Amino acid sequence: MKHLPKHLRPRWRYLAVGIETWPDAEIRRRGFQRALWYAAGNLLGDAGSADADLTLLAFSHGDGEGEAIVRARHGHVDEARAVIGCVSEVADAPVGIRVRGISGTVRACEERYMGRAGGSSTQRDVAFEDAERPAVVRGDARDVRTESGYVGAAAFDTE
Amino acid sequence: MYEAVHARPDGDATAARHAATAARHGYDGVVVRTRDALDPAGESGEPSDEAAALRDEYGIDVVDAVEIDAADATSASGAVGNYRSSRTVVCLVGGDDGLNRFAVEEPRVDVLVRPMDGSGDFNHVLAKAARDNGVHVEFDLGPLFRATGGKRVRALADLRKLREIVTYYDAPHVVSANPRSHLELRAPREVVAAAEAVGFDAEWVEEGLRAWGEIAGRNRERRSEAFIEPGVRLGRYEEDG
Repeated sequence: MKHLPKHLRPRWRYLAVGIETWPDAEIRRRGFQRALWYAAGNLLGDAGSADADLTLLAFSHGDGEGEAIVRARHGHVDEARAVIGCVSEVADAPVGIRVRGISGTVRACEERYMGRAGGSSTQRDVAFEDAERPAVVRGDARDVRTESGYVGAAAFDTE
Repeated sequence: MYEAVHARPDGDATAARHAATAARHGYDGVVVRTRDALDPAGESGEPSDEAAALRDEYGIDVVDAVEIDAADATSASGAVGNYRSSRTVVCLVGGDDGLNRFAVEEPRVDVLVRPMDGSGDFNHVLAKAARDNGVHVEFDLGPLFRATGGKRVRALADLRKLREIVTYYDAPHVVSANPRSHLELRAPREVVAAAEAVGFDAEWVEEGLRAWGEIAGRNRERRSEAFIEPGVRLGRYEEDG
């Protein structure tokens, strides 16, 4: 179909989203997009969800950290932010999520907010609560494996 | 703006991890609700060594608090007496008509948390008492972020009812998402946006997030040595007189 004249084209905003999970969680693009749509449907309803028109444009995740670009309609950025905040788990894996910033173009969004991963993660034993335990170390963060699953700690707790 | 968190052993992240994440999210401070997660403040309200070290490390205020989860008003009363003198912020878990009533009528309680949980309910009598005694009523946005289906619907309906009563009587309020790990922590702008989507006023929610800091500041001042009673402070030249 012939593309629309400029004044009729929808205007978009691009939200840079930072994602954090436990190191053993694996989330994929499809799962994240689905979580986003469900969150929008549940919070805004079908009508609001259609208005905000949230689409995932870029996604990467690994070793407990990830980032994504979410496209939303201009003028519905607050709703989009609310929906993103309400994504609490993706495919049963709990996620921490945060809007890093909003741009008017994908390129500005990438340049300004993306590729800020906290560095590579390594596995090593740390002293935590009077015992040596295996942990995944990423920057200041220490995800310590205990009997009852992972515990989020920081360098402060293990030194 | 402050967030009040559940740290290990009550949650899945330590107080330090909460503080690190909250600092990145743009909070000014965290209130650690879990009694065992942080050392209590000193005699005259100055932060404990641990809290001060966390503040130096992450650049945000870390406040020691306690959440009293009692079976009935009698045992709650004992616990309030015990912790009031050692903790900066004293919260009382509601969720039961007797406990809600006790909390709002007890000026030594700072915050009545999760009043609508379980069988708990709120009405105009409690709102007036909360206003007169300066007890803050917590709006728990946890279910908004993490629950689904009927549970979430009921929680949002309760929040709306609570909001209508509390705003009508202008009782003090606090807002929190009750995060139990650093993954459940949401940045202030997300909290405000999500609350706005379910009918809260943005300004009002921000006020609720700031209120935690105001409570901590007020209580620290009250416990400082210079404080005699509201409006009366020890001056600099007292010793000479």
